[in-house]
Amino acid sequence: MTSTARRGRSSAVAAGPAVLWFLLFMIAPLVVLFVVSVGVRGPGGGYLPGFTLANYGELETRLVPILNTVRFSLIGTAVTLVVAYPLAYYLAMKAGRMRMVLLALIIVPFWTSMLIRTYAWIFLLGNNGIPEVLSTLGLADDLRLLNTPFAIVIGIVYNYLPLMLLPIYVSLERIDPSLRAASKDLGADRLATFRQVTLPLSAPGVLSGCLLVFIPVMGEYLIPVLLGGGRSYFLGNALADLFLQSRNWPLGAALAGSFILLMSFVVVGYSRLTRRLAGPLPTEGVL
Amino acid sequence: MPSPNAISRRSLMRLLGYGSLAAGAGASLSACAPPTTASNTGTAAKSGELGSTLNLATWPNYDDPAVLQRFTDETGVRVNVQVFGSTEEMEALLRAGNSGIDVAVPSQYAIPGWIQSGLLQPLDYDKIEVDVSGWNKAVVDQEFDPGNKFTLPKHWGTTGMIFSEELGSELSSWAEFFKLAPTLDRRALIVDHQISSIGSAAVSLGLDFNVGDEKGLGEVEKFLKSIKSKLFAISSDTQPGLRNGDTWMSIAWTGDGVQVVRDNPAFKYVIGKDGGEIWSDNWSVPKDAPHAEAAWAFLKFIHQPQNAADNINFSLYPHADPAVTAMVDAAVRDNPVIYPAEETIAPLSFATAETYNSPLRAETWARIKSS
Repeated sequence: MTSTARRGRSSAVAAGPAVLWFLLFMIAPLVVLFVVSVGVRGPGGGYLPGFTLANYGELETRLVPILNTVRFSLIGTAVTLVVAYPLAYYLAMKAGRMRMVLLALIIVPFWTSMLIRTYAWIFLLGNNGIPEVLSTLGLADDLRLLNTPFAIVIGIVYNYLPLMLLPIYVSLERIDPSLRAASKDLGADRLATFRQVTLPLSAPGVLSGCLLVFIPVMGEYLIPVLLGGGRSYFLGNALADLFLQSRNWPLGAALAGSFILLMSFVVVGYSRLTRRLAGPLPTEGVL
Repeated sequence: MPSPNAISRRSLMRLLGYGSLAAGAGASLSACAPPTTASNTGTAAKSGELGSTLNLATWPNYDDPAVLQRFTDETGVRVNVQVFGSTEEMEALLRAGNSGIDVAVPSQYAIPGWIQSGLLQPLDYDKIEVDVSGWNKAVVDQEFDPGNKFTLPKHWGTTGMIFSEELGSELSSWAEFFKLAPTLDRRALIVDHQISSIGSAAVSLGLDFNVGDEKGLGEVEKFLKSIKSKLFAISSDTQPGLRNGDTWMSIAWTGDGVQVVRDNPAFKYVIGKDGGEIWSDNWSVPKDAPHAEAAWAFLKFIHQPQNAADNINFSLYPHADPAVTAMVDAAVRDNPVIYPAEETIAPLSFATAETYNSPLRAETWARIKSS
């Protein structure tokens, strides 16, 4: 009795810092966000105390950025997956001694600032970049790449590839080679082995890679500005405008809060689904 | 976001999340500044009165380091340059109090608010020995500071249009600009700045540059939304698109105009004959400036014609004092982008404090971008 009580006390003490952290940096900001979202805009911008739901009524004026965000996040994640999976497969199964060198080559560019790397794409996709090369080769005339949805997807795939690649690589690398050998011995061809053994065993990596890409892309700000020319706004851009330019904090808070709520449902739903499909993900508990 | 000068300030800084780079740039600039000789015995007596430092809040590439060094050599006061990304940022720092800033260079539309809130002190004309009576009437004694009690124009400039030969037609007004823009397939750019873009579009529709009423702004909003899909970009980073041939016509500020036209004579920078924006950045001294005496000495020094002229040759923005204009390099003085003719700037308007602060204008702009 006493020992259990003591153990309860000591585990409460051990959990203390985490609970405090959670209250301070997770719950408190959300409370502030909610309070601001039901307030009114000050005459010179900012926030004045009040209680109104009008800000939530105005959310529909930001419907386009919301839809853009969801659409580009889904497409971007899907394309990143399609690019990353074969690459991860090659690294894990075929690269042999080159593996570490290739992994380093993939990761080292990401030590440079994302801003600089994305800015470079302006010149690659612009008139004098890839379109000029293709035109000189006679492959395409008057191709327009910069400031298009295509450019935004390129930006997403380029910037988020490692977040997709690494979890898939890890799950592929962990697969016991004897399982695939057994599949072969039992008469399965390469495609059947891939479909029935490799792919299901790498599912946890795929599912957590998708989550790791999808969530930060939902909060993307830079790519739509640099590669989309500010023509396809994301939610992050709409929020930056509301807080920094029109200084309408209450509407900004309402928008941010609603989006956090929506995202929570998506993430919880996703992890329920994936647990059923593939068991607990490596990222579980982190997200 | 104020006066429209260098690319670095307007675009890159914003992208980097405002303050972070400003802080970095400030730090690196002051780090680059030649070390002040603390052992400069000849000026020790003087620096005793003035203090040993002056904190200058300004914009990137706006002040010639050699001129600042000359001030240090003459007075023993070291100039500590802080570079900002936007007027809002500067304002936030001043409003918080104890900013430590001795001289600030706000854009004109922020000034009435700063005066009203008591952030600035009246200029001590006895100490700075400046007489503005002969200065360019287009930029002195304006509504934002009648009689220049609190501020003196440092540099001024315009918001015009840049277009390339590829466009195949000559533009001379905002009406023409906004008529042609939607007929092209994504070749026109408007800047991501409500004052300049809403204002110029308003002028093209026959409205006032400072339009602020619901009906007028509604008209501008409807028009800009209708042409948005035909624009190449809404971005303040105007130069890459022009230089790469993606953009054929663009709203642009003086600073970008000077650089693009200098590097590529196929481009033209034109001020709308039907109106548009003129802007100025202005010397001012915050009320809580810790080194006010040094500030007066600095303003006296920086307005001596040779010093002011050197600063213009460096920054490539014009000044309002004709005595200074006479000493500026001929190539700069005769450049019509930097020094437009008097009649060219006559139809232009300064953005007012109301335009800068208007929630309606800001919301309109945010809605256009989010459409």
